[in-house]
Amino acid sequence: MALSFTRIFDNDWVGPGLVSLAAIIGISIFQPSFLSPFNIFVLLSAISVNMVIALGQLVIIAIGQMNLALGAFGGLVAICFVAIMELYGVPPILATVIGLAIGALAGGLTGFVIARTGISAFIITLAGLQIFKGINLGITEAQPFYGVPQSVKDFGNLSMLGPIPWLVLPMIIASLGMWYLFARLRIGRYILAIGGNRTAAELSGINVTATIIWAHAISGLLAAIAGMMLVARLQIGQPTIGDDWLISSFAAPVIGGAVLAGGHVSVAGTFFGVVIIAIITQALVLFAIDPFVVQIVLGGLILWAVGINRLRELRVAKFNARTA
Amino acid sequence: MTDTLHATDNFMPEQRRGSAVMRLALSNELGLAVLIAIAFGAFAITLPGFTSPFSLFTIGRQIGIDTMIGLAMMAVIVTGGLDLSVGAIGVCAAMVFGFLAQKMGIPLPLAAPGAILFGAVLGFINGYTVVRSGVHSFIITLASMSIFFGVMIFLTQAQSFNELPASVQALGKLRVGGMVSVLLLITLAVCAALSIFYRYTVLGRQMLAAGANPRAAELSGIRTGRVIISCHMLTGALAAFAGLMLTARTGAAVPSMAGHLGQDWLLPAFLAPVLGGTLLSGGRVSVVGTLLGATFVTIMTSGLLLMRVGEFWILACLGLMLLLAVLADRFRQQVLRARGMI
Amino acid sequence: MKTIAKLACALGFGAAALSPAFAETDTKVALVPGGPHPYFAAWEQAGADAMKDFNLGAGDYRVPQKWELAQQSQLLESLLTQGYNSFLIFPGDAVGTNSVVSEIVENGGQAIATAGCLKDPTPALFCMGTDTGNSAYLGTKELIKAMGGKGRIAHFTGFLVDPNTQLRIDAVQKAADETNGAVTVVQVIADIDAPQPAEEKINAYLAANAANVDGIVTTAWVPAVTAANSLRKIGDKRIKMVGIDHDEVVLAAIKDGFVNGTMLQNPYGQGYLGSYVLDKLRHGCTLKEDAPWKSNALTAKFVDSGTVFVDASTADTYVDAMRGITKDILATFEKDYMNCQ
Repeated sequence: MALSFTRIFDNDWVGPGLVSLAAIIGISIFQPSFLSPFNIFVLLSAISVNMVIALGQLVIIAIGQMNLALGAFGGLVAICFVAIMELYGVPPILATVIGLAIGALAGGLTGFVIARTGISAFIITLAGLQIFKGINLGITEAQPFYGVPQSVKDFGNLSMLGPIPWLVLPMIIASLGMWYLFARLRIGRYILAIGGNRTAAELSGINVTATIIWAHAISGLLAAIAGMMLVARLQIGQPTIGDDWLISSFAAPVIGGAVLAGGHVSVAGTFFGVVIIAIITQALVLFAIDPFVVQIVLGGLILWAVGINRLRELRVAKFNARTA
Repeated sequence: MTDTLHATDNFMPEQRRGSAVMRLALSNELGLAVLIAIAFGAFAITLPGFTSPFSLFTIGRQIGIDTMIGLAMMAVIVTGGLDLSVGAIGVCAAMVFGFLAQKMGIPLPLAAPGAILFGAVLGFINGYTVVRSGVHSFIITLASMSIFFGVMIFLTQAQSFNELPASVQALGKLRVGGMVSVLLLITLAVCAALSIFYRYTVLGRQMLAAGANPRAAELSGIRTGRVIISCHMLTGALAAFAGLMLTARTGAAVPSMAGHLGQDWLLPAFLAPVLGGTLLSGGRVSVVGTLLGATFVTIMTSGLLLMRVGEFWILACLGLMLLLAVLADRFRQQVLRARGMI
Repeated sequence: MKTIAKLACALGFGAAALSPAFAETDTKVALVPGGPHPYFAAWEQAGADAMKDFNLGAGDYRVPQKWELAQQSQLLESLLTQGYNSFLIFPGDAVGTNSVVSEIVENGGQAIATAGCLKDPTPALFCMGTDTGNSAYLGTKELIKAMGGKGRIAHFTGFLVDPNTQLRIDAVQKAADETNGAVTVVQVIADIDAPQPAEEKINAYLAANAANVDGIVTTAWVPAVTAANSLRKIGDKRIKMVGIDHDEVVLAAIKDGFVNGTMLQNPYGQGYLGSYVLDKLRHGCTLKEDAPWKSNALTAKFVDSGTVFVDASTADTYVDAMRGITKDILATFEKDYMNCQ
């Protein structure tokens, strides 16, 4: 049992990891500039932001729910972050803390409603999406905030070391944090247990309500980090931040082997899912592929990932049946 | 997942206990109807333009289209699944209709059923993939909305069909009695047909049974795979129908009429059935509730626009409304349960 | 804060202070973009100024909350119900918006397609906007001049569903072709409408190809902002760039020398002139059929609202330049385009 469990975890990221590696080698043969320092910098910036977004969805997938409001959290935090710096002169560090608090609070509130009422997370986060996006639009009237301080702009623009951008730092912290959460912390085990079998988790004495609230608060926190990273990267407080997170936030964890029903996720697999999506986005530009085809490629990619996962599940089931 | 007894109860009303009057008084549909009456009355008194024939006509037409979109989603929610590609299917079907009617010169009475059939085929692709792969419909339709829309944009190069026969646009503008849109009447007819379908036909009842408890349905001899596929086909056909109604309203088949990837439809698609009391876990539908849900949303939106709340706050108001509606529904169920009526 | 107060009183159901529908003697203009976009911000001031200067019943800027065709149609229907009778509309779709405009006309209203055109046959009076092809052509000419007459150009532009996009791609190509091969357009990147994809794709392109490109021309708002930021990030003043519109980021990059210039459009003039014309047409004027209409890919009744190239020397005074153009068009519009009693 323990052996097969580690096997699944191994499998999860090996597949997407190999695909990423093959894609990088393949593209750099055709386009040597693909591995130029500046391109690595650009690629890492994109991966960093999208990884944090994907982690925000991952924690909700782990508990067997979905969060449609993720982008709305991120967008609201992004504009609040810039607005308090521009209008009230709040220093960036303090603004970051406030931003994180807003994200965690918004997520926690959503989780509270879901846990206490037992209404499907889909519906509550759909309502949350509209409410938080609506507040965003109401505050900004869809106009961007421009007053991003230089230090924040530098954080999104400058490199930490060679071709490695500073933006990688929050991504690494968030990824390690989430890995630690799922692998070592009690709350992470509770989240996975509830995602795997809620009734069993309840019977074994896990406080389901508190765990669900925690999961959503973490999701909101990660969305807040991603929103503020995007402000640094885009150099502007855009109200549209977060509008297009939904599809990629699901695609990356699913490519990385997460089971949508909950209970099984992989942080490393998600990372390579994000890498694959970033490489494909870049390749479509580098090889000047007809933009009309892009949507079809993305849709096909999700189906492909689902197919691979399905095959692996069957293999694992067979393996377990044999060892049991 | 779902409590068997409770779910079964929902589509076999004759097994319920408690007084019929009481249950009606606490039903979701009646609550919505009362809310609609209050909102309508308040707007009619305070907003002078609200009850003008033109205003009523546009509200009615909007209700017609949004209800149809909601019914399309409802048909798949029945099974506990969902379909993110309704918008993409609707637009694809509308473009097929435009192609048939404008490029091929096929008469409308043939082109319209052809487009609806095409929508059903796209629904079949969704349903077949869901059933065969065993993957949740959320992921499958997330992928298929991208693929359907992408292929459509690729084939049409984002060009509209705007030389349709004049009768198409005339239908969208046709008023009965000066203020009732024909599109609304068509939707009402479809609602009636669907109510009969779910209540009195074998397939309709099988859909509800398979949604309420797939295992029990399987045991009682229902081939749930086929039933789920037919639910997706019904969704595709209804989405295509909604696409045709929107084409009539626009007077042209326009690739952008449901937004990028057709995702503009997702909100009305979920709002109407959920407000109307269709359970997301499957097993219970409310056609009338979906109609009332769309009506409520449309009247509130029109009223808020007329009140000049500021266009930017409408989204937040709609979100709050949805939240309050589901909370009220939960409260209602608790009351019913406390009285032993569920 | 203002909007919160508005919301508060509106939710009280009490403050529905509507003027009576269809006031016969007054022109009530609504300026309605396709959705929220910084380009249209100048319409708000334009509408307010026109209302004051021409004594209009209203000159209100009303924005659909999202860039959706259905939202815009619903807003327009509501505005018609509220008693607005004259509309400046940026079509959410060149074909799809025609039906709601025809409803406006059937109910006694009138509309001008503004900043973007409706496809003929259309019930709109005419179309007033930037001659997008010409603007892209002139911008590319300026870029080629800055590049010293030779080199390779990359072109970043907007929505593929926007019919203007194809006009712009063709115009940039035309300007390059006129150099007899000295200048080539090496890549067109389109459909980068939102900031995040624009950032990813433009940076990806520059990362791989910065050494192979001598000039950049952008013909949409978001790509212009993003490309200006990228050039500043690379710190490369070798690559010349001509942008579009007047975003603060682009203007700052021009002043700092990272961008050579920008093609300004005239949103303020569109809103101001459009309101003026709509008022005239309600009070005894009619449009001349034989007026010097221009034509473009969508319509045969097109009025150019003007375009100006702004570089570092004029970046501070561009507002005056645009006001000047607006004044010029205003001075001759009645004579050239209308019959008035």
